Amino acid sequence: MTPRIETLRSFIRAEKHHQFRRTPEELGLADLNEKFKAEGVPAVERSARMLKALLDAETPIIIEGETIVATRTITYIPSIFTEAEWADIRSKHTLHERGTISNLSPDYEGIIADGLGKRKAAIEARMEDATLTEEQMQFLAAAKASIEAVQAFILKYKACAEKAGLTKVAEVLGAIHSEGAKTLHEALQLLRIVHFALWESDCYHNTLGRFDQYIYPYYKSDIESGRITDEEAFDLITEFFLTCNKDSDLYVGMQQGDNGQSLVLGGRDAEGNCLFNEVSKMCLKASYDLNLIDPKINLRCDSNTPLEIYKLGAELTKRGLGFPQYDNDDVVIPGLMKLGYSEEDAHNYVVAACWEFIIPKNGMEIPNIDALSFAEIVSEAVNHLGDYSTYEEFYAYIVSKINEECKRITSSHDNLYIAPAPFLSTFMGGTIEKAKDISEGGILNNYGVHGTGLSTAADSLAAIKKYYFEEKSIGLEELMDALKNNFVGHEALQDKLRNEAPKMGLDNDEADAIGTALLNSFAEGLKGYRNERGGIWRAGTGTAMYYIFHAKDLPATPDGRNAGEVLPANFTPSMFLKQNGPVSVMRSFAKPDLQNVVNGGPLTIELDESIFRNEETIEKLAMLIRSFIRFGGHQLQLNTLDREKLLDAKAHPELHRNLIVRVWGWSGYFVELDECYQDHIIERIKYKL
Amino acid sequence: MQTGVIFSIEEFAVNDGPGIRTTIFLKGCPLRCMWCHNPEGQKAAPQPLTKQGRTEMCGYTIDSEALAARVRKDEDIFRDSGGGVTFTGGEPLVQADFLCEVLDRLEGIHRAIETCGYASEENFKRVLDKVDYVLFDVKIVDSALHKRYTGVENELIKTNLKHLCESGKPFVVRVPLIPGVNDTRENMEATAELLKGAKGLQRVELLRYHKTAGAKYPMVGMEYKPDFDEDAVPEIHDTFTERDIKLLIL
Repeated sequence: MTPRIETLRSFIRAEKHHQFRRTPEELGLADLNEKFKAEGVPAVERSARMLKALLDAETPIIIEGETIVATRTITYIPSIFTEAEWADIRSKHTLHERGTISNLSPDYEGIIADGLGKRKAAIEARMEDATLTEEQMQFLAAAKASIEAVQAFILKYKACAEKAGLTKVAEVLGAIHSEGAKTLHEALQLLRIVHFALWESDCYHNTLGRFDQYIYPYYKSDIESGRITDEEAFDLITEFFLTCNKDSDLYVGMQQGDNGQSLVLGGRDAEGNCLFNEVSKMCLKASYDLNLIDPKINLRCDSNTPLEIYKLGAELTKRGLGFPQYDNDDVVIPGLMKLGYSEEDAHNYVVAACWEFIIPKNGMEIPNIDALSFAEIVSEAVNHLGDYSTYEEFYAYIVSKINEECKRITSSHDNLYIAPAPFLSTFMGGTIEKAKDISEGGILNNYGVHGTGLSTAADSLAAIKKYYFEEKSIGLEELMDALKNNFVGHEALQDKLRNEAPKMGLDNDEADAIGTALLNSFAEGLKGYRNERGGIWRAGTGTAMYYIFHAKDLPATPDGRNAGEVLPANFTPSMFLKQNGPVSVMRSFAKPDLQNVVNGGPLTIELDESIFRNEETIEKLAMLIRSFIRFGGHQLQLNTLDREKLLDAKAHPELHRNLIVRVWGWSGYFVELDECYQDHIIERIKYKL
Repeated sequence: MQTGVIFSIEEFAVNDGPGIRTTIFLKGCPLRCMWCHNPEGQKAAPQPLTKQGRTEMCGYTIDSEALAARVRKDEDIFRDSGGGVTFTGGEPLVQADFLCEVLDRLEGIHRAIETCGYASEENFKRVLDKVDYVLFDVKIVDSALHKRYTGVENELIKTNLKHLCESGKPFVVRVPLIPGVNDTRENMEATAELLKGAKGLQRVELLRYHKTAGAKYPMVGMEYKPDFDEDAVPEIHDTFTERDIKLLIL
């Protein structure tokens, strides 16, 4: 880190730029939606007008030393609808989360290359079409107005830079006002503006896609022409990363830190070439140096990825930020193609906010639309255990319940309403051609469903199979009574179930086969259904925050888990598993047919910080991660933790402001999390010694 | 077939030799180091251990075939990473016959032992012959002091270390740094002298004493009674680098 970046970093971490923030109330923007309502302004036009009003109200702030500018000064983004209008929409439609667009990966590559002017010209040309409907015209006009609002915003910053005598900054802003980027500096500045404006347009979980791939051409051309040195390029990339941390406390999410600013590095193309490049390397290093929660990095790997790349990743893992997350091209690409994705799209996959695999530009996918709780299904089914005389029959009953749940899920998201996003639409495939807002559907319209409590379910079934059906060492009445009474009076049984029964994560074939079967049944259960947008339903292994919700009302389970006791996050062994170690865990969780569950959701392994006392551990960890990829795991996230430090941070948050942890699919500051999430993380490492 | 008693298997043991390794803990130790951080490894027989309110047996009997199969399960990852298996304890040489049989069954896999060196010369040489790598503890060079802190004199240890030095086998020497006990320049000089000219010596590792050492004693009904100052910062005397011996402080 250069002194310039260090100073900027301190300024931002000290939140000195917060002084410039104003509320929409102070700016007279809070009741704009009321005006829209009174005037009867169509939604898509509201979106463009709201964006323009907000960008116009932004005060240009250039922090001393900055060369990539745009700082948010408005505390929250007012909705284009009034409360009453939302209530009305809700009564007529289903909504996903907040009702606005999230979790997409726009065509940054195209916008950086083409520039805003060319996009605007394309829209204008499209508007010439006399056969367009009124709605189509409204959309195109809104898209054009959004671009113009962003262009005006750029000019405002340019004037500010000029006034401050910042010639270079002004020059770059001038260059990207309409044209595409020609240098690395211009590319990063344009990206910053577009990304900034996406948040300003009330879209959220705005990802950054394949940053190293779309930025590389500018880096390469700058280096080849001698315009900049490697050090200068690194400095710019570091500064861009820093900008992702400027306003992120204002970004909406489930928890502070859950903001979806994930980016993806490396990967291979259809010819099998490794795409990890100089920029990818710089990204890992920049993230290491900055030691901040954003952007959250994913590293695409496959069985041929060189160890050197894993070592760079492991180095960052050691930093304790909870990323990079490792994604396996060998599983994800064929998995996506099996679901019907084109070869090109599949090779171009990125991750959404957490771990869901999505496609840049072409995907208007909702990869987190719902969750199926394996644990709940099994827990419920156990009440009917007495009706079955073999495990196979009982499992067939479980399958019927999974199918029922899939049917229920696939039929409960119809009549979906998403607020229009004309600005984002200009960077998504097919929208201008069709003259249709992206919120109404894009090229790919698939939905994804999480699968929660898998190990709890698999372990429960493994115990039932072994002790009830095979050994007959546990009777029906005894088990029912124990579960009903939360194991009170059945302590010996609980001890056996918790500590001796086969479980996923021990490389135990019995339990792992059940986990495999459950996932296959889930994927099978979603097959054949189409959502109302024509897309398919994808099964996944993630949990998002459902691991907290789904645990609360879940009674005691046959794996020895108490009622209400936490469920593991994502694709992870039971919280109270006495682990053999990471190798067994990885083997267990690489066994299922993971190509069937490429909605995503990582195996999460907690590493004790102390293993890094020896520098040689980095290479060993790199080899361990490579083994995971070679075993055929699909996704891995590693958390480097020190339990004592976490306990201390809980007691004395003021002393640990910078302590970063991985929560379910993102990294955040430990002291800013709700207590239930803090406790879950502490619990995860309790059984390690 | 030989059977033995082990009390733990650790995967991804990062401090026990090259590459990704599985470490097997054999139960029973002839030493009673005052700072021992694996007190459950001292007694040869399985014993109850109480952790988080739950009592279970620490240690179990396993035959050489089953143990070898458990290790071989991860052969692919060992091959990929240049790793293998490490036998430690307790003191693995206490169960020399069992250990030899397991080592024989693991031919083709990189095999290491971590030993305190306190074993008959015959057993030491027998095992040495079957392993690819040795982690050898040198705690205190002065024999009287050694007896005071570990319960045994160290003549046998020095003899076996000499065999190791002469064997040419790659090995690492480990010295636990116990504040006020062995962290003196004198002891470090003497340690370095013992290693003079050893061709196979990869490096010396100084392991800083950790206060967590005492945590497991109550779990096995023992009392931790260090007579040294646990909070003192150990002195670090590098008598090794000047003798062209690589030093690593952990």
